[in-house]
Amino acid sequence: MRLALLLAALALLGPFMSEYGLKLASEALILGLYAMAFNLLFRQAGLLSFGQAAFFGLGAYAMALLTQKAEWPFLATLPASLLVSALGALIIGFFSIRLTRIYFTMLTLAFAQLLYAIAHKWYAFTGGDNGITDLRPPGLLGESLPFYYLVLLAFALAVIFLAALEGSPFGYALRALRDNRARAEAVGIDSFRHLLLAFVISGGLSGLAGFLQGALQRSVFPDYLFWTRSAEAILSTILGGSGFFLGPAVGASAFLLLRVVVQAKTEYWPFFLGVLLLLMVLFFPRGLTGLALGLIKWPTEVRRDASGG
Amino acid sequence: MDIGFYLLQLLTGLAYASTLFLLSVGLSLIFGAMGIVNFAHGSFYMLGAYLFYAFTRGQVEGFWGGLLSVLASGLVIGALVERLLIRPIYARPEEHQILLTYALLLILEDAVRFFFGAAYRSFPMPEAFSSPLFILGSPFPSYYLFLIGLAALFALLLWGFLYRTRLGVWIRAATQDREMLEALGVNVPLLYTAVFGLGIALAALGGAALLPLQAATPGMAVDAVISAFIVVVIGGLGSVWGALLGAVLIGLLQAFGILLLPEWAMVFPFGLMALVLLLRPWGLLGRPPAVRT
Repeated sequence: MRLALLLAALALLGPFMSEYGLKLASEALILGLYAMAFNLLFRQAGLLSFGQAAFFGLGAYAMALLTQKAEWPFLATLPASLLVSALGALIIGFFSIRLTRIYFTMLTLAFAQLLYAIAHKWYAFTGGDNGITDLRPPGLLGESLPFYYLVLLAFALAVIFLAALEGSPFGYALRALRDNRARAEAVGIDSFRHLLLAFVISGGLSGLAGFLQGALQRSVFPDYLFWTRSAEAILSTILGGSGFFLGPAVGASAFLLLRVVVQAKTEYWPFFLGVLLLLMVLFFPRGLTGLALGLIKWPTEVRRDASGG
Repeated sequence: MDIGFYLLQLLTGLAYASTLFLLSVGLSLIFGAMGIVNFAHGSFYMLGAYLFYAFTRGQVEGFWGGLLSVLASGLVIGALVERLLIRPIYARPEEHQILLTYALLLILEDAVRFFFGAAYRSFPMPEAFSSPLFILGSPFPSYYLFLIGLAALFALLLWGFLYRTRLGVWIRAATQDREMLEALGVNVPLLYTAVFGLGIALAALGGAALLPLQAATPGMAVDAVISAFIVVVIGGLGSVWGALLGAVLIGLLQAFGILLLPEWAMVFPFGLMALVLLLRPWGLLGRPPAVRT
């Protein structure tokens, strides 16, 4: 219910935003979607993927290559982007899910960097570091307001889907695997299939975010696949609070808003971001959401599945 | 092509491996002993190059003194960072440690950009290494041999330290069972400060030693830390000899891969890392993680 109100408010705000505001809001929703896809793996399944950029980039490149090389209509590349990134996640996940903890993290990082290196070097196909530019969606979607609604729709559907997933038996199984793998397996949960499915869903949604980001920026570059892009999902999530359902989206909005404010004053934005992250980790590990809820003591929103619970 | 050519390529690969070893061995030690995944490791490598430039003011006469000063200041900076920033988060989940060290990466990159500017900073080749050596009749940059010697020296010193001193034995013990070590009365937090300082000092030295060959930029940190992870994952997280083996493998893979498929040499290290993770996730010389209940 609260979620529906939030989405309705975001929809109503659309016409009142400036061109620039719409671009920024779209970017915040896209980054929020990407971070929430990451957090499906991280919070529900307890897997720290450092390779989400692989799927973000796959979705973006699928859109760019299909519209430009195969001349597909823009919207037809949306399901294709989802499919390509989900397929990529199926392959990468098939190998990565077998590993745990830091080894899982490192293998996902290796695969993503492998794709980055390929996109960077394969000039004939991906344009190398020149990227693929001039990707303005045709017709109405080339305008900021309709595109904002497309982004909002994608975000809303993804968030509703993730919320449903969290409450489903599948979500419970993932959390059981996270909390005690051996015990969960002993009661008959197939860890490999559950975690792989979560990985594929997370990859597909990351690809959707990549698709939207490529269309928003009207260009796709190899840095869509670079490891710092994976780090962005993690830092948005922790900034907002990984323990809260909408935490990653809150973190993503805060991240972008702050970037705009700081970049208006100084070119040293990464420095400020670094200091902020440092302070957050040291003093407010539950993230901005945790900080805000702690201040106003919202009784209904305490962590429902506190770690180990 | 003759034997001489391959020999030169081999030495080139080993020279690259030498800087990789200095860069990565600390990352491995820090993870092994402290369990910290240090995403800022490449930043200290970058910082080493810039400090070297600052200490010597880019003047070739300061070469040896510069190297020593970088080593010493790396030790101090590493110890300070551990004390002030890393210590509060030992008990935290991995992602907090990753985020904190990632924050350090961002801060250091911008700090260097602020103090030194975004331009390339380079250092002239010291007089002693300015003329090439002739190996089987082919010229070979003598500085490459210096790098190999430097890495070999530090590998030996590290071996002596880890296997022949009490502190070294404790560090190795910390990679196996920290709680037991603490129960035996060892001051583990102080040990961690030493390990972190040592690891950072070696990375900084690696960055400084590379400067005569390759100019420094603030952006070199993000690439360096990934190279270091590749080396350490291939060799085995926590293993010093693993870092050496991983560095040599990657160095040779680059040197000879560039002959076979010049376009794709950049892809090979990631491929090798993925392969090792699939077949032997704990690395070539690492130990399989103990089963926890």
